[in-house]
Amino acid sequence: MTGGSGPVLQVRGVHKAFGGVQALQGVDLDLYAGEVHALLGENGAGKSTLIRIITGVHPPDTGTILLDGRPVAIRSPLEAQAYGIAAIYQEPLVFPDLNVAENIFLAHRGQGPVVRWRALYRQAEAILAQLGVHLDVRSPARGLTLAAQQAVEIAKALSLQVRVLIMDEPTASLSAHEVEQLFRLVGRLREQGVAILFISHRMEEVFRIADRITVLRDGHRISSRPRDRVTPEQAIQEMVGRELGEYYAREPTQLGEVLLAVEGLGREGAFSDIHFQVRAGEVLGLAGLVGSRRTDVGLALFGIEPADRGTVRFRGRSVAIRSPRQAMELGIAYMTEDRRQLGLIMSMSVAANITLPTLHQYVSRLGLIRREQEVATAERFRRRLAIRTPAVSEAVGRLSGGNQQKVMLSKWLNVQPRLLILDEPTRGIDVGAKAEVHRIIGELAAAGLGILLISSEMPEVLAMSDRILVMREGRQMGIFSREEATQERILAAAMGQG
Amino acid sequence: MRDIGSYLRSWEGLLLVLVLAVMGFNALQTPYYLRLANQINLFTLSIEKVMVALVMALIIINAEIDLSVASIMGLAACVLAYLHSQGVSVAVGILAGLAVGLLAGAFNGFWIAYVGLPSLAVTLAGLIGYRGAARILLEDRSITDFPEWFNRLGQEGLVGPVPLSLLLFLLLVGLTVIGLQRSAFGRYVYAIGNNRDAARYSGVDVRWIKMQLFMASGLVSALAGLLLAARLGAVRGNTAEGFELDIITMVLLGGVSIFGGSGSMVGVVLAILLVLNLRNGMSLLNITGNTQTGVIGVLLILSVLAPNGVQMVRERWRRRPTTQQG
Repeated sequence: MTGGSGPVLQVRGVHKAFGGVQALQGVDLDLYAGEVHALLGENGAGKSTLIRIITGVHPPDTGTILLDGRPVAIRSPLEAQAYGIAAIYQEPLVFPDLNVAENIFLAHRGQGPVVRWRALYRQAEAILAQLGVHLDVRSPARGLTLAAQQAVEIAKALSLQVRVLIMDEPTASLSAHEVEQLFRLVGRLREQGVAILFISHRMEEVFRIADRITVLRDGHRISSRPRDRVTPEQAIQEMVGRELGEYYAREPTQLGEVLLAVEGLGREGAFSDIHFQVRAGEVLGLAGLVGSRRTDVGLALFGIEPADRGTVRFRGRSVAIRSPRQAMELGIAYMTEDRRQLGLIMSMSVAANITLPTLHQYVSRLGLIRREQEVATAERFRRRLAIRTPAVSEAVGRLSGGNQQKVMLSKWLNVQPRLLILDEPTRGIDVGAKAEVHRIIGELAAAGLGILLISSEMPEVLAMSDRILVMREGRQMGIFSREEATQERILAAAMGQG
Repeated sequence: MRDIGSYLRSWEGLLLVLVLAVMGFNALQTPYYLRLANQINLFTLSIEKVMVALVMALIIINAEIDLSVASIMGLAACVLAYLHSQGVSVAVGILAGLAVGLLAGAFNGFWIAYVGLPSLAVTLAGLIGYRGAARILLEDRSITDFPEWFNRLGQEGLVGPVPLSLLLFLLLVGLTVIGLQRSAFGRYVYAIGNNRDAARYSGVDVRWIKMQLFMASGLVSALAGLLLAARLGAVRGNTAEGFELDIITMVLLGGVSIFGGSGSMVGVVLAILLVLNLRNGMSLLNITGNTQTGVIGVLLILSVLAPNGVQMVRERWRRRPTTQQG
């Protein structure tokens, strides 16, 4: 199956920028037949972008991809499939109403208008046998376990004569037993000469299954070595070394009363046993990798997805937060990480977005909105946060990402909260806007607000927080004081190596 | 604020030009057109539908739909007629009809807002269910022996030559125009229609707003059904059957996007004026009812396809060059 000893897939000098953000800066990668190649990196290191380029979702800005030593242009996932490159993700993409065999052969085209069912079932059984999986190919995919669905996806890839299989966090939703099953499958694929690019945040898995480990950081390849030449500690050190210099250095402020005290907080299927306190004037960082469920903690405290276990005390009073309105009345605001889908209503004006949560304060006795008062509020925030917009009546969708972020911040500051939960407040905005947001966070804490800062940017969490709570897969791994916290310690905790 | 040029190029501008053209044409064809009696008559003949269309506009802007309005109109009329045939006073019958409409709307709203079922499915069930209830009440009977005052209320002027139904319509126009463009409720309706998740994350009580809309739809539909009964002086199990389609198409003609989130009451009112004037003009020219329906049908098809089509093409173009961040 292999064509000599050279790599199946080579990535050479790939650059990719989105807006002003450089996601990849000259990345090289070699994948050999019959190897499991693990890709490690923090959130935002460029792993997802690299996968999207290899699978044809995005074209690279510069750089080439070579297949068997020949340069190829992969313009779509379909073309990638034709080249024998397939990807499976944390959530398998199976069609629940089709049976197993149909799911396996879904991607096959051009075999004539008539389905030869008996042949189809026979081939499906043969592929599953090859993988050592026992499934009824005639039963619908609905009701299969996640692990079985992944097996179907792997079988689908095999049916397409896959040569490069990308597995992006395939174990994140699996039980320990299912992980074992998956690893047996991966072993079979390796024996058959498939090159596997394996992405996982679980260090112990990576070091168990990978033949070679590549570390990405800030869009650069930092290292690429056989597994026996690297230790988990080394890998973590290589993943972190990001520059702290450009970050705003926040002066810790005098802490006030305990605003929020959370004990044993949990929500079925999301997170459990979370304990922490936030005091007035304090920034509590919430660190963790993708899938660590930090956002779910924020959503629980804002009443969007209420917690079902544990106690929450706000300013000494025991509360059960069941709705965003109730949270706002208590003085809790939550700024989402998903500006486009959840944060702003893009076709509405800057002013209307800022006043949306507090609109009842802008209503006259006849029930009409007092426009002048609304505009005055919007203008006040426009000056205070230096929002660059031609007018506050402009649709917010026409502003730049950084300015949209400031509109979102204005909207929540206008609620005059005591506790502000900020979920990835600087995601996808340029360096200048980032620094401004950091300055604003510092000022808010100095003014006595309690801030829960959820951020995947390690230097940001370290620079802004008084204390840092690290989560991993819905569990609290520890709380580090400003003095204890280093990038290595936090990442090690977030990866379960603490 | 937009300048006048862009306003004229908007859908509302186009509708305004069309309305004026049709009115001008009608006035030139027959002097009778401009008489007050005809102007009132022009509204009265479809007043029940256009009344419901105003609330329907709010529901569609909210990214929902209510297919059950005509059945609620029929049900309210049948409740009144049934109670009347059982010897209950008409005044009590009217209250009962309104209450049934409100309840039917609340029933729709509960499943849509609080259980989260799609409004298309819930109100389709309502369309069949409420009509079924209406038919069970009256079976094959036709109730006609309403008291004098009730029939006069539907057929004659209340304030001078202006009948009650037209007054109620004008009141409703005022309420919905101001309500949608200037009130907090209207802002919430737009916000939810645009992006219900973002509205929810902003602390807007999405479910209660939707519930209120469907209750309003039920109540106004019932009111329209009762006015229809008064105007026709007769109620049958199939009263107002099929009206929902005319109502929805008028809203779409007004430039309200079927996907929700955009549209204005001004556009809807202009669309109503256009349809009514076109129909009236053709009647005055002795064009038969079938041809009228055909002409208006073609106009509606074009108008529904045009703005939504243009918008879809625009969206495609807008989305194409954007990239996602990794």
